[in-house]
Amino acid sequence: MIRGCERAVERLFFGAAFISALITISIFGFMFVFGLPLFSGGRFPEIMTRPWAPHLGVFGIYPMIAGTFAVSLLAMVFAFPLSMGCAVLISVTGQGRLSRLLRRTVEIMTGMPTVIYGFVGIFLLIPLVRGIFGSGSGMCVLSAALVLAVLVSPTMILLFCDSFERVPPSYGHAALAAGATKIQRFLHVTLPCAGQGIIIAFTLSLGRAIGDTLIALMLAGNGVQVPASLFDSVRTLTAHIALVFAADHDSLEFRAIFVCGMSLYLLTAILSLLARRAGSKRRQQ
Amino acid sequence: MEPPVKIRINSLSFCYNGRKVLRHTSVSFSTNSITAIVGPSGTGKSTFLMTLNRLWEELPNCSLQGTVEIRFNGVFSNIYEREFAVEKLRRQVGMVFQTPNPLPMSIFKNVAFPLELAGEKEKDFIRARVEEALQKVRLWDEVKDRLSESALSLSGGQQQRMCIARAMILQPEILLLDEPTSSLDHTGAEAIEQLLLQLKQNCTILVVSHYLDQVKRIADRVVELRDGQLCSR
Repeated sequence: MIRGCERAVERLFFGAAFISALITISIFGFMFVFGLPLFSGGRFPEIMTRPWAPHLGVFGIYPMIAGTFAVSLLAMVFAFPLSMGCAVLISVTGQGRLSRLLRRTVEIMTGMPTVIYGFVGIFLLIPLVRGIFGSGSGMCVLSAALVLAVLVSPTMILLFCDSFERVPPSYGHAALAAGATKIQRFLHVTLPCAGQGIIIAFTLSLGRAIGDTLIALMLAGNGVQVPASLFDSVRTLTAHIALVFAADHDSLEFRAIFVCGMSLYLLTAILSLLARRAGSKRRQQ
Repeated sequence: MEPPVKIRINSLSFCYNGRKVLRHTSVSFSTNSITAIVGPSGTGKSTFLMTLNRLWEELPNCSLQGTVEIRFNGVFSNIYEREFAVEKLRRQVGMVFQTPNPLPMSIFKNVAFPLELAGEKEKDFIRARVEEALQKVRLWDEVKDRLSESALSLSGGQQQRMCIARAMILQPEILLLDEPTSSLDHTGAEAIEQLLLQLKQNCTILVVSHYLDQVKRIADRVVELRDGQLCSR
């Protein structure tokens, strides 16, 4: 009886896992089928290398890929030290009430709608960037990256905290008993032990930054160009999908958004594979 | 002539998670002696050791009242005074835990860790001190060819001896040992007992032990912790 139940539960889990995997693969297949007209006639290299000029029949998404990388990687440059600092304050050096208060605040921030961050960016940051740097409208790579950094930081902070707190307390006690300060304990013991968690947190946050639509749409300016400076207007893949989707639904131009979707899919898949690989390498060490 | 006092505890009370572990207890420990602390399980013997190097400050929901004075360079200092640097204290008061707690690094790095924390940069000096410490705990011959291997690959007994070597490498004036031989076999335990007898020439040792035979063999004095009070037996 118990064995029969176990077998049924096992099959249930297997079915759930199989359906999840099938849905994920189907989504990719769906995008491929819808984007097929663009792939025919050897147009694929053109899509990946040419600019976006639908009036000339050129549907290259290269500027959007460059824009996505520029905004999300710059966001990570800002977000990583900010998140690391906050996580250290919460889990390593902070004491009682202050770290609890900080953690609660960060937890609330993770649930805040993205559009709120967008409003703050438009009404506070954009005028500031325009005023300080005096270039253009202020809607640029820098503005989008700064707000995106604030958006992904709470998740990264909580994931960092989680990986610090997973380090066995006995390691911390051994380090402190040997005369380590809290910072030395963090640098010599906690940080090396939490390495795998840090890599995973970074990768997941980068995935979130790449996948976010609204911030880029509201703050990056949406100019179709490869950015040459922090103050250039750019369009990310997600913003491009949203913009084209709002205006069209059956042209070749419209089909290009499925190629954008596939690029995003592959980018995030590669990131999670890299994170898994890095994680398993560290485990082996 | 009585040896001079090394540790002087005055009206020490300690509360852990709302439970009073120590109640206004006063006791002193002599220089260069071995004191065994005995008592039923769960009475707070390990916690008491942590009050001598302030490691309890890392535990949640604890409070302490009273004074703990230790004689450093002939002068008593209250280790709970604000200006007393806790890291400096822990470098002079070594501690070995009941369960071996090797750090996830190589055997060499584990033993050298306190020296590096203290700012020692001289590689040859560190190497010599590591060898000396490992020889004292009779571990050198077993690990000399695999010092770069992870300390986690050692057996439980070897790990504990390595932890003792790590606690000794800074040549602390006080050594706190919480049932240090509980994970060792007879030979390993005997080696540690011999080592403690050697070390007491230059070190004040407080050892929590449940083994009465061991207590009889090594301790100059036995103190029992019962109902929050430390009393000589």
